[in-house]
Amino acid sequence: MSDKIVSTSTYIAVLAILLVLTVLTVGVSFLPLPPIGHVIAGLTIAALKASLVVLVFMHAMHSPRLTWCVIVACIVWLLIMFSLTYSDYLTRGSLPQMPGH
Amino acid sequence: MSLRDTLFTPAEQTALFDHTFLARERLEEQYASLPHQSETAAFGMWVFLATEVMFFGTLFLAVGAYWCLDPQTIELASLELNWKIGSINTFVLLASSLMMVLAIHATQLNQQKQAYRYLLITAGLGICFLGFKAVEYYIDYRENLIPGFKFDDAEWIARGVDASRIGYVKIFLFLYWVMTGFHALHVTIGIIAVSVMAVLTRRGRYSREYYSPLDVTGLYWHFVDVVWIFLFPTLYLLGTHTL
Repeated sequence: MSDKIVSTSTYIAVLAILLVLTVLTVGVSFLPLPPIGHVIAGLTIAALKASLVVLVFMHAMHSPRLTWCVIVACIVWLLIMFSLTYSDYLTRGSLPQMPGH
Repeated sequence: MSLRDTLFTPAEQTALFDHTFLARERLEEQYASLPHQSETAAFGMWVFLATEVMFFGTLFLAVGAYWCLDPQTIELASLELNWKIGSINTFVLLASSLMMVLAIHATQLNQQKQAYRYLLITAGLGICFLGFKAVEYYIDYRENLIPGFKFDDAEWIARGVDASRIGYVKIFLFLYWVMTGFHALHVTIGIIAVSVMAVLTRRGRYSREYYSPLDVTGLYWHFVDVVWIFLFPTLYLLGTHTL
């Protein structure tokens, strides 16, 4: 619980940005991009939107450091899981078959 | 005139009574103060949400893994999902998040009636979300998008999917049902929690001094919104749409 009171106009401005980003992400899906382009665009905009929600709506901006430890640890563990898994899936076929396979 | 009357004005006496009453009723004995107790509760919710991130994270990981193996087929499957209802639901959830944060804001200003109204709108928008979701599920049912139950291989071959690749379509749709299903379950739990908070706010349980349960419920509700923010592009926006 943060004692800092954020003004209503800040919250409404953040919602406006979130709605604009939603329109943008749908708009980008109409552009003739390669599959990877859609993934990068979609996830970048999603990350921006999620950051706004976490920082402003969830008051992470005014939260104690302990809360930040949880947020950072969470993201780091998620990155470990994704990077280890995709280091396999994304490189399949690009390496020669090992003897015995 | 008693000593108390000479030391404090009537307004101060009321404030003092409120404070000690609040402290007696709300403060658990293991905490030094109400802020201490509220921070601990919020911390507990953040840790719980971190475990939820790991839960949903594995499902996102699975979509990504199959996408790595065959992006073209996953793209064709994604294009069959109803992005219009998905977009509407994104707007609905984002608006509900604003209502939730405004309810907490009103409580911080001791405007319980306003807070009650905002909480009702939050729960209402949550129900709207589930309503749209139900309509979408029905359309998916009609369009044979339920692998293992109502699914037609021939339709997908006609859409240009190689017969040997139908499995990728099935696994993507399966993940779609699991992910949106679990998300809808979270929304349902959220609606119940927000409704309970609305009733308790109406009864005057929360004020500027103490609104920890409301704060923690808000964290959960926003988290459900964050999950949807990632679900939307991961499931609905993988391909190039045309009007």
